[in-house]
Amino acid sequence: MAGIEDLGVGIGWRPEIDLTVERLPGVDFVEVVAENLHIGHLPESVALLLERGVPVLPHAVSLSLGGADEVDLHRVEHLGAVAEAVGAPMVSDHVCFVRAGGLDSGHLMPVPRTRDALDVLVANVKLAQANLPVPLALENVAALLEWPDGELSEGQFLAELVERTDCWLLVDVANLYANARNIGTDPERFLDEIPLERLAYVHVAGGEQHGDIYHDTHAHAVLPEVLEVLDELCSRVSPPGVLLERDDNYPSDAEIEAELAAIRAVVDKHRG
Amino acid sequence: MVTPTTSRATVLSPEEIGFLTAGPGRAAETALARLLDAGVVRVARDGRVSPVHQSGGGVTVVETRMLGRLTKPVQFGQVVQASANSLEMRVLQQGLRERKLIRNPRPRMRLWWIFLVIGSFLGLAALTEPTLLVGTAALFGASWWSFGARPVTRAGRAALEGVTGDDRVLTVALHGFRGRVGGRNVGDLFELPQSVVNTVPRKNRKRTDNDGAGYGSCGSGCGSSSCGSSGCSSGSSSCGGGGCGGGGGGD
Repeated sequence: MAGIEDLGVGIGWRPEIDLTVERLPGVDFVEVVAENLHIGHLPESVALLLERGVPVLPHAVSLSLGGADEVDLHRVEHLGAVAEAVGAPMVSDHVCFVRAGGLDSGHLMPVPRTRDALDVLVANVKLAQANLPVPLALENVAALLEWPDGELSEGQFLAELVERTDCWLLVDVANLYANARNIGTDPERFLDEIPLERLAYVHVAGGEQHGDIYHDTHAHAVLPEVLEVLDELCSRVSPPGVLLERDDNYPSDAEIEAELAAIRAVVDKHRG
Repeated sequence: MVTPTTSRATVLSPEEIGFLTAGPGRAAETALARLLDAGVVRVARDGRVSPVHQSGGGVTVVETRMLGRLTKPVQFGQVVQASANSLEMRVLQQGLRERKLIRNPRPRMRLWWIFLVIGSFLGLAALTEPTLLVGTAALFGASWWSFGARPVTRAGRAALEGVTGDDRVLTVALHGFRGRVGGRNVGDLFELPQSVVNTVPRKNRKRTDNDGAGYGSCGSGCGSSSCGSSGCSSGSSSCGGGGCGGGGGGD
């Protein structure tokens, strides 16, 4: 994908921290939640960032591409329209489903890693791609459960998805860490199995342990262990971009800046 | 944190300086400025104020109450307005009153000058009829009374003497977020968009029966606007002898 080879280090743009994002040094690109933007009425802050030449990448959370329900093309069209409005070189969503039987889960639910489920996912992704003006990247989610009778590892599942749809991968190392903690995913095996040459960019986020479960909250500091997973990824491939996600309990500008700097340090370490 | 400012023998907190300068609204602006300055709250471009996570609390009761209201983002102007109307602000006001820095203001009557005019005529007549001097004195007294009195006392004005906007919190106390200092918007000192600053209600310059009745619960002791638009709004870093009251808000 021309134009996004080197996104740099970015942060998820959120209205609560828009002024912070605007004035923080070291923000090379931002990501916006596509469902929160209205075409023809972009937030002033997003428009300002675009004027400055900061790439803005739409990230969707509602396409439910892993679901058995028909893909809602209105949502796909909206995502595409947001991409065109911000001049984005690509868009993204998750390998998950959020709706089934007319109910909305409110969560990014993991897809059963079966061949049948993969067929459904592939068909939905192809339909979405056909209705999008730019390439689509798909993100691994944090799962609190694994569906029974899985036939593929998560890495194998994503690798086959990429092979069959030519989509890009958005690797969330915090989700990978959460899965390692909660359902025993092996991060190194995951990274071995996915086609890293199709890596679009990387998500980093904070979380917190509650009892036996690690929650990928996006509301706590990024753990050193998550940065270690990023370090492992960067030892294998130079990611085109790495983005910090923070969705609640927004810390001070200085703390956000420090997290961005820590991410950049990991990336730069491997770039020499 | 902004250190209390000593002026002559009176130690004033930034909030008190704000209150003496322009009433409870300005004191509320000052509290918000201090929280912004300390990084305890942040403002979004749409004007919503939210607490910064784990960044400490308020130093004063006004600040603490202000933070307590921010369980969800609140518009900048509403934060100021709610604080200006708060019980904590009345406590601050009471403290200033007990220190005799403010007093209950006496509202100016609309026709105060009539007593002066009639008294003057009567005074002229008293040149030929000295018994009229009593009436003249009474009318001049009524004129003085109906002219009203500013809520900031002489001691309050003296306490403000020499107070300068040494930092951006004190600059807000003296000029308000809507003010201008040295050709620069005060809001710019906090990197606030003007659209956000404009959510702070303007001081109501029109005198009312309650005097000092800008927005907020001026009640008594809010100050009247003797400084008008020039003394407090631009240029100098000090309001001089105080008396720049009004309901609050910005200059």
